[in-house]
Amino acid sequence: MPDPNVYNDRVVTVLVVLSLVWAIAGMGAGVFIAAELVWPTIDLGQEWLSYGRLRTLHTNGVIFGFGVSALMATAFYSVQRTSHVPLFAPKLAWFCCIAWNLAVLLGGISLLAGWTSGKEYAELEWPFDIGITIVWLAFAVVFFGTIANRKVKAIYVSNWFYGALIIVIAMLHVVNSMAIPITIGKSYSLFAGAQDAIVQWWYGHNAVGFLLTGGFLGMLYYFLPKHADRPIWSYRLSIVAFWAFTYSYIWAGPHHLHYNAIPEWVQSLGMVMSIILLAPSWATMVNGVMTVAGAWEKLKTDPALKFIVLALAFYGLATFEGPMLSIKSVNVVSHFTDWTVGHVHSGALGWNAMITFGTFYFLVPRLVGAALYSVRLANIHFWLALAGTMLYVLSMWGAGVSQGLLWLSLDELGELSYGFRDIMASMTPYYALRFVAGAIFLSGAILMFYNFVKTMENRTTVVRRIPDVTTARSAVEAVA
Amino acid sequence: MTFVPIDVLVQGGQLFARLEQATASASVVVFKDILPLALIPPIFLYLGSLQFGWQIGAEDVIRLNQATLLMISVCYFLALLLGFIGLAILLRWMAPTYAATLEMSRHLTLVATVATPMVVGSIAHLYPHVFVNMLAIIPVLIWSMFLLYRGLPIVLRTTPQQGMLMASSLIGIVLVAAVTLLGITVVLWTHGFGPSLGL
Ligand code: HEM
Repeated sequence: MPDPNVYNDRVVTVLVVLSLVWAIAGMGAGVFIAAELVWPTIDLGQEWLSYGRLRTLHTNGVIFGFGVSALMATAFYSVQRTSHVPLFAPKLAWFCCIAWNLAVLLGGISLLAGWTSGKEYAELEWPFDIGITIVWLAFAVVFFGTIANRKVKAIYVSNWFYGALIIVIAMLHVVNSMAIPITIGKSYSLFAGAQDAIVQWWYGHNAVGFLLTGGFLGMLYYFLPKHADRPIWSYRLSIVAFWAFTYSYIWAGPHHLHYNAIPEWVQSLGMVMSIILLAPSWATMVNGVMTVAGAWEKLKTDPALKFIVLALAFYGLATFEGPMLSIKSVNVVSHFTDWTVGHVHSGALGWNAMITFGTFYFLVPRLVGAALYSVRLANIHFWLALAGTMLYVLSMWGAGVSQGLLWLSLDELGELSYGFRDIMASMTPYYALRFVAGAIFLSGAILMFYNFVKTMENRTTVVRRIPDVTTARSAVEAVA
Repeated sequence: MTFVPIDVLVQGGQLFARLEQATASASVVVFKDILPLALIPPIFLYLGSLQFGWQIGAEDVIRLNQATLLMISVCYFLALLLGFIGLAILLRWMAPTYAATLEMSRHLTLVATVATPMVVGSIAHLYPHVFVNMLAIIPVLIWSMFLLYRGLPIVLRTTPQQGMLMASSLIGIVLVAAVTLLGITVVLWTHGFGPSLGL
């Protein structure tokens, strides 16, 4: 019988470690495919090492392995603290942890073997889709069960974001994965043609929205005030931004399909809703920046806060660049270029990875009840992460804008001036720089991994008692 | 008398202590440090393009006639000059939030300091091949960021912690400004200004 007076933190520790393993593996795959774009023959003629297969391994590894494990870990950690109860159904939480990671592992192997549905970020075939649905339902039961048991009346804003993550991803995943199986490893989508495209990018964009943005905002809203040791600058703004974000995001998907065979008005709607999205996104950024600005003394003692500061800066960049790229007269040049890839990674490296690193530097020492093994290594990691991200973004801006120009250039006869092969060959310098940038970023992550291994060595997760709720409640009400 | 660009190159560990002592007025810093810094890259670009022509990719070398080249170089100079001064104004605007100094000359000095490695790196413009210029960016960018984070609290007289926050905010703003410029350029292209595109 689990003790009702202590938090369930062991599952959090395990999820953090698994997330770190996926970070290294997924980014390692990213660096390898970046190298393949410079030296195409390093696939050694092996199908499973080819770009097409490893690219999906990279995206699935970082998003579902690294990202979702980190989100599960932090959701389990923070929902207990903000509800003042242990996890509802802790065994089910262990099931989530193990089954999810097994699904990503086996799914990754199936991608290497060539199974794919061909839908971006939803490549895994139908047996995995069913498995993922079951795990996700279990995640929902644990999370919302814990909230239902809570001893504090208010539901703190981080839980709204984690809750939206769970509900919306369930909806997106189930609808977009509907398919008719042909064999164990192949199925065909239930939707056809333009409809399939719209459903796919409704899924794809909102996976970015509710997982890579919303889920990680849950992380921000819990861990930033913890780091800063003061409440969020404006709680009201955070709630307003939550609802504005939720309502506008869900419509933005068609900006992935500009000038495609979908109705013109759907494209324009997608563009308008994308531009509106800037408002809640920047409201959140301002809220974060002002929270840190008032707590600058904390930077003296907390190496991790730096990562969060930088994450906010890149969050600001990515959420500005996104609406801009969805303007049709920008998109007509930027689409099908590396500008998109640069945009993705200013979010992925600068925001998702950076905020997760910052959170883990806070969390790991607390979980095992020890000081961080080396603050110096963490500081070096910070520099590597910053340099890697900057170089990545710059190289892809350069590549993207010149590609946009070269794809569309006409000669005197009105014919396209350059062929695909010529343009790709001219990209080598940019791709080489991106490879270096990725290697720098990855080496930082490896340092962090080593730092945590040393911090956790010979230790187990500390058992923490749940503090008395009456004092906690008066604290919350004082803030409200 | 200090010359920021020279100091950055030769002073090493003493650099920030010297800059901390600097007393020149804002207009002096503009003429003595900012102006030369803004002049050098356009000159390199002009000479390199005249000699070798630009190689953006896809085989052919882009050769522009002398008049066009001169115009591009002058625009480049003006953009750098306005950019540097604009950055200093921006820093001053943020200064109260991070308890930094309001002296404009110090903000300009910081901009000159951070820009120096980039200007040195622009020597790669002499051989205007994208690969060479990309290679130059790596060390130069890291050096500039180091100067920004290390130098900001000292030159602008704030705590290292608030300096860190201010430097990060600056990076965020510069990146947003850069991407806005890219966006505006592209919109101009799609509306018929600049290169002829098949749209
Ligand atoms: C070491 C760091 C990384 C490197 C070197 C790297 C490299 C790459 C490369 C080469 C691609 C393929 C681009 C193409 O096909 O043209 C890619 C795509 C992608 N990566 Fe990464 N990556 C890294 C980290 C991450 C992280 C941390 C995330 C997410 C949290 C991420 C998310 C993605 C996504 C979503 C795409 C697909 C982009 C698109 O389809 O437009 N990457 N990455």
